[in-house]
Amino acid sequence: MNIYGYKCKKCGTVHYPFRTTCKKCGAFIFEDKADRYQLVPLSKEGKLLTFTRLRSLPGDFDVPELLLGIVQLDDGNRITGQLDIPAPKLGMKVKGEIRVVRQEGYNTHRGIVFEAA
Amino acid sequence: MREVFVVGIGITSFTRLEYPLAEIAAYPGMMALKDSGLSKVDQVYVANMGGGRVNHQTGLASAVVDQLSLAPAGAETIENGPASGASAIKTGFMAVASGLCDTVMVIGAERMREVNDLESTDFVATLTHPHAEYIYGVTLPSLAGMFARLYMDKYKVTPRHLGMVAVKNHDHAMDNFFAHLHERITLEGIIDSPEASTNNPFVADPLRFYDCCPVSDGAACVILASGDAAKKTGKPRIRLAGVGQATDTLAVHDRKEPTDLLAARGAAAAAFKMAGFKPSQVDVAELHDAFTILEIAESEEVGFFKKGEGHLALEKGETRLGGSLPINPSGGLKAKGHPVGATGVGQAHEIVLQLRGEAEKRQVKGAKTGFTCNFGGFGNNVVCLAFKKEG
Repeated sequence: MNIYGYKCKKCGTVHYPFRTTCKKCGAFIFEDKADRYQLVPLSKEGKLLTFTRLRSLPGDFDVPELLLGIVQLDDGNRITGQLDIPAPKLGMKVKGEIRVVRQEGYNTHRGIVFEAA
Repeated sequence: MREVFVVGIGITSFTRLEYPLAEIAAYPGMMALKDSGLSKVDQVYVANMGGGRVNHQTGLASAVVDQLSLAPAGAETIENGPASGASAIKTGFMAVASGLCDTVMVIGAERMREVNDLESTDFVATLTHPHAEYIYGVTLPSLAGMFARLYMDKYKVTPRHLGMVAVKNHDHAMDNFFAHLHERITLEGIIDSPEASTNNPFVADPLRFYDCCPVSDGAACVILASGDAAKKTGKPRIRLAGVGQATDTLAVHDRKEPTDLLAARGAAAAAFKMAGFKPSQVDVAELHDAFTILEIAESEEVGFFKKGEGHLALEKGETRLGGSLPINPSGGLKAKGHPVGATGVGQAHEIVLQLRGEAEKRQVKGAKTGFTCNFGGFGNNVVCLAFKKEG
């Protein structure tokens, strides 16, 4: 499984998350249906840019704390995700995997979870 | 464009309030009418973020205008996340400046404590990006925690600096009857002593309990009027001289430099440009310190200090009452409280009080210019206001 970025066919900028209008060249990505963008799988490896250990969680999480971080991916994109790293450090190499990240009633959300590479 | 003046103000305590949302909202409206001497207004704007979700009440402005028996005045509810308050003031400004209305009542109101803390945390977390942030459990404190870690690393800000913001704002709130927290704290108690980890546990490290604002109920009101209408009230001439707004990416990771708050920078620049004065000429400011790190970062982004030097000014006591530029004399969101939709109006209330010279023990002596920064989302939608005392 992958998380996909949206590549503008006009200028090549990859957007994650999705946006209807390209931030760089202003092309309407939604115009002509899917013709204007191309799905590209985001890299799952990168460097940990920042993180936090959150101890006050929304009610549907039944864990006492959650490690969250922003990762600078090797392909130049950035992504927010959960961390499965006992003692994270700024700038460390990490590797991601798609897992269930949240169970909200009957809704199962999958997303990226990073481990130390 | 016509000039716009603030002719009436009112506020409730920011705390836990056991009244229906519409009554909480109406109370400062009543006080502001009394303050201004007006008995009716052309238009009412009510800023509120969670009525529909938290209080099971939508279309709040219709309820409030009726509570105040101001019908048939126009009424609209304005939702712009935690910047709803300043957005409503901006809307009121446009109504008066354009000539559409002569008098406009702007209320900000919120009742977040009707639900428990888990639900209110989740309610505020709905501000984050639904697919790229929210599903991971990202909340506003976690975004602030990630921002703080990066910021502190880059600009050599220490946990003690964050503590200094909390201590300062708690001290200021001691003299504000309407503040949520009347609790003097010390750096020893929250950082240095062995008990600090119990007194002040981590919420989203490096941010601790005393780095975060409380969840408050409360409401505030300002009445705006055109020059002629303001003259008739005989109130001190406090002019809303500048209004600025700017936006940034919804997902925080999507920003080129995640330690920059470009929306705050842009909104402040626009407000100062319209007002015709510079950040260095500001006598008193209310910044959006939902988290202590934000007061430091915003004080730089709005132009008071150079980037990376806000914590040095704080260290020297420049931002304390009695310093060269007192920030958050009301106690700020940190200690005055943060009823999300009401916050921006509460900030304006404080500045008007200061410029009128009615802030009693927390009065900034001779204040003639004031500034507010109301920060929506995690910096994706910011509204700044500049005020000036005339005559």
